[in-house]
Amino acid sequence: MSESSMRRGAMRQSEATLYLGASPTSVFALEEFVDSLDFLGRRERERLKLAGDEILDNLVRHSAPLQGGGITVRAARRGDKIILGFFFRSPGFAAFAASCGDPLPLFDPNHRRWRGIGMVMCRNLADSINLRPGSLLDRIFLVFHPERDEPDGGPWRQRGSALRAKCAGGSRGSSTELVGK
Amino acid sequence: MTQLDVTVRREDAYDLLLVSGPVNSYTFTEFQEKVFKSVAAANVIIDMEKVTTLSSAGIGVLMAALDDAGAAGRKLALLRPSEIVKLALDSTGFSERFPVIQNIKEF
Repeated sequence: MSESSMRRGAMRQSEATLYLGASPTSVFALEEFVDSLDFLGRRERERLKLAGDEILDNLVRHSAPLQGGGITVRAARRGDKIILGFFFRSPGFAAFAASCGDPLPLFDPNHRRWRGIGMVMCRNLADSINLRPGSLLDRIFLVFHPERDEPDGGPWRQRGSALRAKCAGGSRGSSTELVGK
Repeated sequence: MTQLDVTVRREDAYDLLLVSGPVNSYTFTEFQEKVFKSVAAANVIIDMEKVTTLSSAGIGVLMAALDDAGAAGRKLALLRPSEIVKLALDSTGFSERFPVIQNIKEF
């Protein structure tokens, strides 16, 4: 069996699920999955793809080893919201969620890399990011507003770069919400 | 699996990098290698019309390359970035740092 598999439209027309292995190459399967979501518009798919890639990359790099070795990704349109959910089990996720903050991107001269850009992207692309460590399952939910395909780029351009982060607790069973503004 | 392709064309006044496919967390190292190599030696135009996604790792490469080019007194510009590239850059709040051109004559 391949490291990813897709179940589309089995239950609802506006929901699809993807099962991924915890591998760096899974990013390709996620991109293909998002591109195939025909219940979303092009700009909606682009926002999900950009933010989803960042979340998956962080999970694979920083939350490994994932117990069970896999990540379930679910995309759904629910009324006036679009939700992208990641379901997994990681012993380190609760600590990560507890330490969340609002760091500014910084240049790391030793590795010639910028750090922290991905989280800024997620906050600006999504309306909210909810980190939910759990006793049986860890979950991340990104919530997006619907967006028409407009040539001028749509409403996200007016959102600006001001951000606020709300960190509430961090032990298992608590929830941390990062809110784009 | 969709592959990244980066082709470098050496012109007299600049290197033109033709990029197609995804610049993501898995492919960005190839992108980084070719961008940094060109920026170390020439003015650079990066054609991003056929880029299908741009991750934070790829944006970090562009930001570092822009800094390197500026420090060396060279120019770097993005040619015809795709809609998803523009969205990615705007989502960082750094999009105004990047010179964008629609035609090589603008360089």
